Amino acid sequence: MIKIPTKVLIVDDEKDFVEMFSLRLQETGEKVFTAYGGKECLDTLAVEDIDVVVLDIKMPEMDGIEVLREIKKRHPIVEVILLTGHGAIETAVTGMKLGAYDYLLKPADAREMAQKLEGARKRKEEQEERIRKAEERTLLRRTGGI
Amino acid sequence: MEDRESKPEKISMIKTRLLLVDDESHFRSPLKKRLHKRGFIVFEAGNGKECQSLMKQEPVDVVVLDIKMPGMGGIEVLTWIRDQFPKTEVILLTGHACAADGVEGIKKGAFDYLTKPVELDHLVQKINQALEKQKREEEKKQEAEFKARMEQQMVATERLASLGTLSTGIAHEIDNPLAIIMECTEFMRLLLDKTEDAVFPRKKDFEKAVGKIETAIDRARRITHQLLGFVRQPETVFSKTDLKVLISETIEFVKKEAQNKKVEIVQDLDKVNGKIWSDAYAIRQVLINLITNALAAVNSEDTITVSIKETDLLTKIQVEDTGSGIPKENLEKIFEPFFTTKPPGKGTGLGLYVTFGIMKRLGGKIEVSSRVGTGTVFTITLPRTMKACSLMGDNKDICLNILNTIKGDQPND
Repeated sequence: MIKIPTKVLIVDDEKDFVEMFSLRLQETGEKVFTAYGGKECLDTLAVEDIDVVVLDIKMPEMDGIEVLREIKKRHPIVEVILLTGHGAIETAVTGMKLGAYDYLLKPADAREMAQKLEGARKRKEEQEERIRKAEERTLLRRTGGI
Repeated sequence: MEDRESKPEKISMIKTRLLLVDDESHFRSPLKKRLHKRGFIVFEAGNGKECQSLMKQEPVDVVVLDIKMPGMGGIEVLTWIRDQFPKTEVILLTGHACAADGVEGIKKGAFDYLTKPVELDHLVQKINQALEKQKREEEKKQEAEFKARMEQQMVATERLASLGTLSTGIAHEIDNPLAIIMECTEFMRLLLDKTEDAVFPRKKDFEKAVGKIETAIDRARRITHQLLGFVRQPETVFSKTDLKVLISETIEFVKKEAQNKKVEIVQDLDKVNGKIWSDAYAIRQVLINLITNALAAVNSEDTITVSIKETDLLTKIQVEDTGSGIPKENLEKIFEPFFTTKPPGKGTGLGLYVTFGIMKRLGGKIEVSSRVGTGTVFTITLPRTMKACSLMGDNKDICLNILNTIKGDQPND
């Protein structure tokens, strides 16, 4: 079976982390984009068709929650997985209430990350599928079923 | 622990013990009788040597000592008493023309002197004064000890607080590089898995090394997890908690481990009510920490007893074991983060530190008493009424806050 690559955007101000993480995800067959801050993340989202954003909550300048709000405003279907420090589970909860798919404690376990990426991508696919079906139905109605 | 240290106040109940030292028995014996009638327990000695051997056998409160004695002189005896029994007061008896001797005696540490012939009322008065001085000094000493203990406790608490801030800060900072190391390792693992053995002659060695890195990362991650969990606990939720049920459940939880070690866990909960408003989840964590610690300290055939003690003011839970005990030098350190006697990688040294933090959050306290070879008792105390808050030391304010939010005193049912 051919694996359909998930288009992942990694957003973190730790350059080394972003680099290694993207290398690893590429190795497992995902298509990876990177951004080192909130603004860069939003810029990338504007031009690339991204499935899942892996977003660090603690970043200088624009913090993760702020970025999340903006993502959900501009691209509501894009799924977001939050990366948080141990002390900040409350922030993760806030993030999930704002529409994030899930969160992971940093440093995140590779298996967990893979599972959550998979889950996020699935949720996005399903949502897209529902939208497509709904669109079909509206089209049918408009044409009167002929 | 206070319960064990405090001895009943006996001093006022016990009769004062006097020792009369004089070489003239015709003076000594009648005085003894008269003093005895006044309610004193009186011993007598005919010379310095006798006085010494008597005092070595039985302590006395006050010595009435003749200065002029053949052999060992009064001043010599006085010096010896002050040296050996600093608490014992000495009243000197001098000849009527020898006031100078008395003064010298006072310089050497005698309480006072009386000139012979002695008037009984006068002597009794002096003895009582000496006793009062003794009592005052004892009180002063106790006060000083109490103060020193309080200061020591405060220093310890402050130390814990600053250590906590420091170590959580470090934990935060370490998490980021740790995340990078982890990514690198995962990546290497991935590449290794994809590479054929034939292409990579020393692949096994590399796999082994990567495996070790993975284990080490896991270990470091456990530490930062626990440490950061301590600072920002999930929100404390107070509800009516049945401690008896909670204790039984917790014991059920560790039962298997206890059975494996052939250790009996006894619950002594029959006589108490055991209901209190508190955070059940937090108390469960405290109990698990304390009982697993106890399990680690015991051998087969040992016993762990979990009991509840209730007073109007307080509810105490004790976890007592008959295990190896904690040496005195460690006792001061056990609540510090990272203090552990387990080999590296086995214990994080955070269990009791976290427990200490939880008890603080609950407005209670935790205390320990231990004897090497006999066992250890951990006591956690939870407040029942507003009045109990003043007993919680540094956690008094938290305690008041909590009892205010649950609308005053703990319910009785």
